[in-house]
Amino acid sequence: MRRYEMMVILDPSLDERTVQPSLDQFLTVVRNDGGSVEKVDVWGRRRLSYDIAKKSEGIYAVVDLSAEPATVKELDRQLNLNEGILRTKVIRPELH
Amino acid sequence: MKPRRVPRKKSNPLLGVGYIDYKDTDLLRKFISDRGKIRSRRVTGVTVQQQRQVARAIKNAREMALLPYSSRAR
Repeated sequence: MRRYEMMVILDPSLDERTVQPSLDQFLTVVRNDGGSVEKVDVWGRRRLSYDIAKKSEGIYAVVDLSAEPATVKELDRQLNLNEGILRTKVIRPELH
Repeated sequence: MKPRRVPRKKSNPLLGVGYIDYKDTDLLRKFISDRGKIRSRRVTGVTVQQQRQVARAIKNAREMALLPYSSRAR
Protein backbone atom coordinates (compact mmCIF):
# COMPACT_ATOMS: atom_id res chain seq x y z
CA MET A 1 0.00 0.00 0.00
CA ARG A 2 1.35 3.40 -0.98
CA ARG A 3 0.33 6.96 -0.49
CA TYR A 4 -0.56 8.95 -3.57
CA GLU A 5 -1.66 12.41 -4.40
CA MET A 6 -3.73 12.84 -7.50
CA MET A 7 -4.58 16.12 -9.17
CA VAL A 8 -7.44 16.25 -11.65
CA ILE A 9 -8.48 19.05 -13.99
CA LEU A 10 -12.13 18.81 -14.98
CA ASP A 11 -14.09 20.44 -17.76
CA PRO A 12 -15.16 23.97 -16.71
CA SER A 13 -18.63 23.51 -18.22
CA LEU A 14 -19.48 21.01 -15.47
CA ASP A 15 -21.42 22.18 -12.46
CA GLU A 16 -19.00 22.57 -9.56
CA ARG A 17 -21.46 20.92 -7.19
CA THR A 18 -21.45 17.71 -9.23
CA VAL A 19 -17.66 17.42 -9.09
CA GLN A 20 -17.44 15.92 -5.62
CA PRO A 21 -20.02 13.16 -6.22
CA SER A 22 -18.64 12.24 -9.63
CA LEU A 23 -15.09 12.04 -8.27
CA ASP A 24 -16.42 9.91 -5.45
CA GLN A 25 -17.83 7.53 -8.00
CA PHE A 26 -14.43 7.17 -9.63
CA LEU A 27 -12.84 6.62 -6.24
CA THR A 28 -15.02 3.61 -5.45
CA VAL A 29 -12.45 1.54 -7.35
CA VAL A 30 -9.91 2.48 -4.67
CA ARG A 31 -12.22 1.57 -1.81
CA ASN A 32 -13.21 -1.74 -3.42
CA ASP A 33 -9.58 -2.78 -3.75
CA GLY A 34 -8.83 -2.18 -0.09
CA GLY A 35 -7.41 1.31 -0.42
CA SER A 36 -8.57 4.40 1.38
CA VAL A 37 -9.32 7.95 0.32
CA GLU A 38 -7.99 10.40 2.89
CA LYS A 39 -9.03 13.73 1.44
CA VAL A 40 -10.82 15.16 -1.58
CA ASP A 41 -10.08 18.85 -1.99
CA VAL A 42 -12.01 20.63 -4.75
CA TRP A 43 -10.23 23.90 -5.49
CA GLY A 44 -12.93 25.06 -7.85
CA ARG A 45 -12.63 26.98 -11.10
CA ARG A 46 -9.20 28.33 -11.92
CA ARG A 47 -7.62 29.94 -14.95
CA LEU A 48 -5.27 27.67 -16.87
CA SER A 49 -1.82 29.00 -17.74
CA TYR A 50 -2.38 27.80 -21.28
CA ASP A 51 -5.35 26.33 -23.11
CA ILE A 52 -6.07 22.62 -22.74
CA ALA A 53 -8.49 21.18 -25.30
CA LYS A 54 -9.40 24.75 -26.31
CA LYS A 55 -10.48 25.61 -22.79
CA SER A 56 -8.94 28.44 -20.81
CA GLU A 57 -10.38 27.44 -17.43
CA GLY A 58 -10.61 24.24 -15.45
CA ILE A 59 -12.00 22.87 -12.22
CA TYR A 60 -9.13 21.62 -10.06
CA ALA A 61 -9.38 18.86 -7.50
CA VAL A 62 -6.70 17.19 -5.39
CA VAL A 63 -7.22 13.74 -3.87
CA ASP A 64 -5.02 12.18 -1.20
CA LEU A 65 -5.29 8.41 -1.11
CA SER A 66 -3.47 5.23 -0.27
CA ALA A 67 -3.77 2.21 -2.49
CA GLU A 68 -1.89 -0.48 -4.35
CA PRO A 69 0.02 0.67 -7.45
CA ALA A 70 -2.22 -1.35 -9.77
CA THR A 71 -5.35 0.25 -8.30
CA VAL A 72 -4.06 3.74 -8.92
CA LYS A 73 -3.11 2.83 -12.45
CA GLU A 74 -6.65 1.59 -13.06
CA LEU A 75 -8.13 4.75 -11.51
CA ASP A 76 -5.95 6.93 -13.72
CA ARG A 77 -6.98 4.94 -16.79
CA GLN A 78 -10.68 5.30 -16.01
CA LEU A 79 -10.35 9.02 -15.36
CA ASN A 80 -8.61 9.59 -18.66
CA LEU A 81 -11.36 7.75 -20.52
CA ASN A 82 -13.88 10.28 -19.28
CA GLU A 83 -14.59 13.24 -21.56
CA GLY A 84 -15.19 15.60 -18.67
CA ILE A 85 -11.64 15.23 -17.43
CA LEU A 86 -8.99 17.35 -19.09
CA ARG A 87 -5.88 16.13 -17.30
CA THR A 88 -4.67 14.08 -14.36
CA LYS A 89 -1.43 13.78 -12.46
CA VAL A 90 -0.45 11.16 -9.90
CA ILE A 91 2.41 11.90 -7.54
CA ARG A 92 3.96 10.10 -4.59
CA PRO A 93 4.76 12.88 -2.16
CA GLU A 94 7.33 10.78 -0.28
CA LEU A 95 9.63 10.64 -3.28
CA HIS A 96 9.75 14.41 -3.70
CA MET B 1 43.76 47.42 -12.58
CA LYS B 2 40.02 47.31 -12.22
CA PRO B 3 38.79 46.52 -8.74
CA ARG B 4 37.47 42.98 -8.50
CA ARG B 5 33.80 42.76 -7.68
CA VAL B 6 33.28 40.74 -4.54
CA PRO B 7 30.23 38.54 -5.05
CA ARG B 8 27.81 38.95 -2.21
CA LYS B 9 26.41 35.79 -0.75
CA LYS B 10 22.69 35.76 -1.31
CA SER B 11 20.42 34.70 1.50
CA ASN B 12 18.72 31.40 0.81
CA PRO B 13 15.10 32.13 -0.14
CA LEU B 14 13.98 28.63 0.78
CA LEU B 15 14.85 28.73 4.47
CA GLY B 16 12.11 27.06 6.44
CA VAL B 17 10.57 25.38 3.41
CA GLY B 18 10.76 21.62 3.75
CA TYR B 19 9.02 19.90 0.86
CA ILE B 20 8.81 21.96 -2.31
CA ASP B 21 5.27 21.44 -3.50
CA TYR B 22 4.33 21.82 -7.17
CA LYS B 23 0.93 23.14 -6.05
CA ASP B 24 2.51 26.12 -4.26
CA THR B 25 2.57 28.43 -7.27
CA ASP B 26 3.21 31.57 -5.23
CA LEU B 27 6.49 30.10 -4.01
CA LEU B 28 7.46 28.72 -7.42
CA ARG B 29 6.78 32.03 -9.14
CA LYS B 30 9.79 33.45 -7.33
CA PHE B 31 11.93 31.01 -9.30
CA ILE B 32 10.74 31.83 -12.80
CA SER B 33 11.37 34.90 -14.91
CA ASP B 34 8.59 37.04 -16.41
CA ARG B 35 9.01 34.95 -19.57
CA GLY B 36 8.27 31.82 -17.54
CA LYS B 37 11.79 30.42 -17.65
CA ILE B 38 13.34 28.75 -14.63
CA ARG B 39 15.88 31.05 -12.98
CA SER B 40 19.40 29.72 -12.62
CA ARG B 41 20.99 28.84 -9.31
CA ARG B 42 23.33 31.80 -9.69
CA VAL B 43 20.30 34.02 -9.52
CA THR B 44 18.17 32.16 -7.00
CA GLY B 45 20.96 31.36 -4.52
CA VAL B 46 19.56 28.02 -3.37
CA THR B 47 21.52 24.80 -2.89
CA VAL B 48 22.04 22.28 -5.69
CA GLN B 49 19.55 19.86 -4.17
CA GLN B 50 16.94 22.55 -3.69
CA GLN B 51 17.41 23.84 -7.25
CA ARG B 52 16.65 20.33 -8.54
CA GLN B 53 13.55 20.08 -6.38
CA VAL B 54 12.41 23.52 -7.52
CA ALA B 55 12.98 22.63 -11.18
CA ARG B 56 11.02 19.42 -10.84
CA ALA B 57 8.18 21.17 -9.01
CA ILE B 58 8.00 23.85 -11.72
CA LYS B 59 7.89 21.21 -14.46
CA ASN B 60 5.11 19.34 -12.66
CA ALA B 61 3.20 22.58 -12.20
CA ARG B 62 3.60 23.37 -15.90
CA GLU B 63 2.11 20.02 -16.86
CA MET B 64 -0.97 20.86 -14.81
CA ALA B 65 -1.25 24.37 -16.33
CA LEU B 66 -0.50 25.99 -12.97
CA LEU B 67 2.53 27.75 -14.45
CA PRO B 68 3.18 28.76 -18.06
CA TYR B 69 5.67 26.96 -20.29
CA SER B 70 6.56 30.33 -21.72
CA SER B 71 4.66 33.53 -21.58
CA ARG B 72 4.54 35.14 -24.98
CA ALA B 73 7.00 34.26 -27.70
CA ARG B 74 9.05 37.19 -28.89
